[in-house]
Amino acid sequence: MKTCIISGASKGIGRAIAIELSKSERSIEKFILISRSITELEKTKGFMDTSSLVELYSIDFANIEETQEQLASLFKDNDADILINCAGYVEPRSILETTIENWETTFKVNVSSMFLITKEAVKTMKSSGGKIINISSTAGMSARPGWSAYAASKAAVINFSETLSEELKEYGIKVYCVSPGRCATDLRKKLAPNEDPSTIMQPEDIAGVVRSLIPASGDFLDGQNIVVRQQVKSY
Amino acid sequence: MKKTSMILLAGGQGTRMKQDIPKQFLLLYGRPIIVHVLEKIEHIPEIEEVVISCPEQYIERTLELIEVYGLKKNILCIAGGETRQESTFKALEHVRNESVIIHEAARPFVTVSDFMNIMKDSEENITYALDIPFTVLKGEGYIIENLKRSELINVQLPQKFNVSELKSAHNWAVANNKNSFTEDASLLFEHSGASIKIMKGNDYNLKITTPFDFKIAPTIYQEYFIGE
Repeated sequence: MKTCIISGASKGIGRAIAIELSKSERSIEKFILISRSITELEKTKGFMDTSSLVELYSIDFANIEETQEQLASLFKDNDADILINCAGYVEPRSILETTIENWETTFKVNVSSMFLITKEAVKTMKSSGGKIINISSTAGMSARPGWSAYAASKAAVINFSETLSEELKEYGIKVYCVSPGRCATDLRKKLAPNEDPSTIMQPEDIAGVVRSLIPASGDFLDGQNIVVRQQVKSY
Repeated sequence: MKKTSMILLAGGQGTRMKQDIPKQFLLLYGRPIIVHVLEKIEHIPEIEEVVISCPEQYIERTLELIEVYGLKKNILCIAGGETRQESTFKALEHVRNESVIIHEAARPFVTVSDFMNIMKDSEENITYALDIPFTVLKGEGYIIENLKRSELINVQLPQKFNVSELKSAHNWAVANNKNSFTEDASLLFEHSGASIKIMKGNDYNLKITTPFDFKIAPTIYQEYFIGE
């Protein structure tokens, strides 16, 4: 029985991934969804295939101590076969407006929590292999004036993923990074409030890419930073 | 297959590696060298227990690694001796099976098959060895004797021994003040002329001793263990 853990599953890309995998990936029999809001997770569960076994965990990744305790409890009873790290936080500000609190919260949610949950997952995966998919962003690959904390945290996610891919190879653990470009999520609204969300990628598009990594055919992309961008045709 | 014990010699102090930390704790592709060995042993249920012999000041660090890497094998960590020979002698006191495998923490490229092949073999005393690919002569300042390299072997670990026979050999060595043996096949043979089978070793089962060895180790790892 394969268990898939998805963080940040209460909305956006995380929710879309949970829904997509529950409907199309029959090898997964149990989903563990994590987010701050149980209410929103309940909504995600409502959209998922009803035959899926789904457990919900409320964890505030901005609180590292609480996160460690909750993860210890989660992994006491569960092994992970697939881990999808999707939790994200953004508060776009210029360098002069960025406070240490803002910077730290961004890194706690986007990087430190990913490190903590990945470390626990690896303990359970190291004897039989597994897949780890980290959702980063194209913001982690190039300059984004006004988004320094977010962009730096996403750059960290990309390198964290690439490094782990090498480090965990002997355990049969595949590690991927998926870096979407502009995608219609609440997080994107904060970054680009005036953008029409219907003109950019949808969370379901990213979920489709993630789904393609789950079967054995996805093994060949191990270690890649997979950039997902919408093709824009202009005439 | 007969149940067996293992002695893992982890006596490195970092001197020849010119490092502040012993070589068994240096990171090879992200994991301490000793962990590479222990994780392979973890996959061999026939190895019932492991006695790690290491410098006393590194026992705590070794136990910490066992905990962090979630190793479930029955592992005892003891303070080693002044010499490799004494470390093996002390570790033998804790061995509970009649057969023991001896390996070194500084040989991370050993494979599960390397262990299994000597365990499956019916001979009680076995060492791995490589051919000598270069000319060897005997001399001290001047050459005093030609040696036939076809009659010589390059001893490689792991080895397997009958515990009673090896203990007798070590007791004999202590009683006779013979304390310069650098591995156990030569000690056992010197003591009793025991039959010790030679099995062909692997070129890549390198002992990481010098900074050069450590430099080429990642290449060996990539080539033989993760297939890149």
